[in-house]
Amino acid sequence: MTTTLAENSQPTLRSRQLLDRLRSILGSDGLLANQEELLVYECDGYTVEKKCPDVVVFPTSTEQVAAVVKACNEFDVPFVPRGAGTSLAGGCLPIGGGVMIALTRMKRILEVNLRDRYAVVEPGLVNVHLTQHLKGTGYHYAPDPSSQGACTIGGNFATNSGGPHTLKYGVTVNHVLGAEMVLPDGSVVQLGGPVEDVPGYDLTGLFVGNEGTLGVCTKVIVRLTRDPAAYRTMLGVFETVADATKAISEIIGAGIVPAALEMMDQGIVSAVEQAFHFGFPLDAGAVLLIEVDGLEVAVDDEAQRIIALCQQSGAREVRQANTPKERQLLWKCRKQAFGAIGRLSPSYCTQDGVVPRTKLPEILEFITDCGQRHDLRIVNVFHAGDGNIHPILLFDERNAEQVKRVLLASDEILAKCIELGGSVTGEHGIGVEKISFMDKLFAPEDLVVMKSIRDCFNPTGRCSPGKMLPTSAGCGNEHVPKVKPGRKAAM
Amino acid sequence: MTCIKESWLTAVEFTPATQLELSRFVAENAQIERRTLCPVGGRTALHYGFSAAEPGVYVALSQLNRVVDYPARDMTITVEAGVRIDSLQQTLAGQGQRLPVDIAQAERATLGGALATNTSGPRRFGHGTFRDYVIGISAIDAAGRLFKAGGRVVKNVAGYDICKLLVGSRGTLAIVTQVTLKLRPRPETSAQLWMTVDNFDEAESRLQRLLTSAARPVAIEVLNPAAAALVIASARVELPAEAPILCVGVEGSRHEVDWQLEALTQELTFPGVQECRQVRDQDADRLWSALTEFQTCADDPLTFEANLKPSQCIAFANRATERGVAVQVHAGNGLVVGQLLEESATIDQTTSILNDLRGLARSQGGNLVVLHCDSTWKSQLPMCGNPEPSWPLMKQLKRQLDPQQLLNPGRFVDGAR
Repeated sequence: MTTTLAENSQPTLRSRQLLDRLRSILGSDGLLANQEELLVYECDGYTVEKKCPDVVVFPTSTEQVAAVVKACNEFDVPFVPRGAGTSLAGGCLPIGGGVMIALTRMKRILEVNLRDRYAVVEPGLVNVHLTQHLKGTGYHYAPDPSSQGACTIGGNFATNSGGPHTLKYGVTVNHVLGAEMVLPDGSVVQLGGPVEDVPGYDLTGLFVGNEGTLGVCTKVIVRLTRDPAAYRTMLGVFETVADATKAISEIIGAGIVPAALEMMDQGIVSAVEQAFHFGFPLDAGAVLLIEVDGLEVAVDDEAQRIIALCQQSGAREVRQANTPKERQLLWKCRKQAFGAIGRLSPSYCTQDGVVPRTKLPEILEFITDCGQRHDLRIVNVFHAGDGNIHPILLFDERNAEQVKRVLLASDEILAKCIELGGSVTGEHGIGVEKISFMDKLFAPEDLVVMKSIRDCFNPTGRCSPGKMLPTSAGCGNEHVPKVKPGRKAAM
Repeated sequence: MTCIKESWLTAVEFTPATQLELSRFVAENAQIERRTLCPVGGRTALHYGFSAAEPGVYVALSQLNRVVDYPARDMTITVEAGVRIDSLQQTLAGQGQRLPVDIAQAERATLGGALATNTSGPRRFGHGTFRDYVIGISAIDAAGRLFKAGGRVVKNVAGYDICKLLVGSRGTLAIVTQVTLKLRPRPETSAQLWMTVDNFDEAESRLQRLLTSAARPVAIEVLNPAAAALVIASARVELPAEAPILCVGVEGSRHEVDWQLEALTQELTFPGVQECRQVRDQDADRLWSALTEFQTCADDPLTFEANLKPSQCIAFANRATERGVAVQVHAGNGLVVGQLLEESATIDQTTSILNDLRGLARSQGGNLVVLHCDSTWKSQLPMCGNPEPSWPLMKQLKRQLDPQQLLNPGRFVDGAR
């Protein structure tokens, strides 16, 4: 069994030895071990469960990461990688304490090769920094999580992040060609490309979305995508949520694949309007943010088809963003919607369920009922085109009874997603938050195979213990029971 | 072409009618007889990889060919793995949809087999490969355990993405029984621009021009004259083939296709071009099909695939042409399919050509695998290419998931010396 480094202020001889070792690997400015400084690292965007690591290290090279991992193995302490800590499911919660490997100092763009359409980056690179770096080249990195101003590519790799434009372009895994990993035993291996079709199994595909349980990613080779020639961005205004979901179903059913198709209901719209003054109609039941992209000769036709379908579904009006600036503002409203929720409530809890797209009306109706039954206000802003819902449950965390109702309602909503043939997470990951749902979503046989895969690469369980799979090898996964749904950061 | 010389063709066969029946059979085999199992679909790729060490049992998925659920408005479908590709595409076409992966021998190949070999073709440049479309999978592991991963929704990050692991795993980790696919709308029409150029350098300068083209092609192919002759013969379309060919494919509405052909013609017509033809409608369909079948069409002694950076493909194609190989380049993806012609029909000549080309690929960070060859040569050729740094990890995973070595043992990277 694994021991924690220093549960109290009296470090043991062994933990002092480990600290000395880490210092010799990283230098004295390469780690934090003071209680006050460690507090920053006690949780990510999932704040229900908190636990400080015993030490946070800031490696600047693959060699340092490998040396840290080897030291953790030698001293038998758990370790967990961390990017920017924007994840929403507790993916970088240091269960059992131990060493947190913060990759934020490994943030270089190592290579951009436009001829061969790839870039090699370090894991701590902020997502939007790659986009900015590529501006003007005609190419971009497609996955654009709403937190892209803060989240890192390594974190995107670990959680297989999505974003609004995944509807047409796919999620992180569709844009990763290869990676360099420090495996849980400290060895370093290169998976996949830059070249495609490397002979053998697609380990890159398996490792994307591993939530830190298969090792520490130290380099990512990403595919670069040609910029669209033209965009049309529209805002459909609907009297009711039901009309808006009908329009979504009509658009997808008509065989149109928009670049993005996002929905915001009245609650969100009013919060966003107060924050950004876009000019959203405050009396509308729901709005759809719809973007099509492609050739200049094609986007107008496609936009017209969408406008017609919206009108057939009872849209009050469909506005078009006429300038790039208007388009940017619309997207800003959408991507920062979560930030605006503070205007509605002191605390909130976001869920990340997925249903088949045709079941959207059903799940949204269920969410409304569920809110009424538990006397909770729930607002919605989500990736409608993918069927990926993000109901936001508003509450006051000082009210314990209300907190209990929030947890109950969340569980009911996710259970309903499973019942409708969906999933409990579309892009945030299982982490620790949804671990209790794994055996509802998967059969015991499914979990045996997944566990077998983890054991193959992470046999001691020291790497990110207590994550993703309900039964955890080795380390204590007896993490804190759910007490309160925390206030969440960006989505 | 199937190699009928393989001894294991005489193997016993088992054709389950349901997943459950297969699961029981595999479980029993794992406990009692422990014979090696070779999952088969349309038997179009039995020659892939190393030869089996011992005759095993063919597990034929042909009766597992039902459509389980097709919620067309969700643009997903769940089908059993034994469904034939042509019948799948026909079902999808009925709803104006498709799986946009080019799969050769669609009238025989099954979804499970195509997925297990990660088949693709010219349009992978625009649409990607199986890994981009498989969102859920059911499979039976070596112990007979029926398990699933992923789901039936287009976005899902719950658990490990075993779908990706099984794509291209050649039946060595589990027997895929059921698949959920993400679908795409069928385009109204498609077309190609077929251009002869003076030499390979002229092809390369056009590939560079395409990087910032105003069009958005779904396929960028380069063929040497030997390959072009085979392709146009198979497509039954009259086109020039006396010089290197650049063939660029587009899809979309008629309006989009017209506009793109016009734009591409303007961008690519500069000194060095000989002839430029538009291929449209049924001719375009037949040309797509011929470009897809190239990797399987030959009776020739050996077909290989090299994977390189796109920028290295033309130099590679040039060298291969000098060595008398017919080559098709998926130039946007860095893949080169080559066929050694009859003249190189001895193992010594073949080895010499392959060593030369593999060396070139390796020096650029690529590799070269043999797709098909005379079965008696297999033991002397690195069928799966030269060792990659991640192979030890893959072998470890194979041992973990199939500890008794029952599923196609020794035929993929685990058989490489």
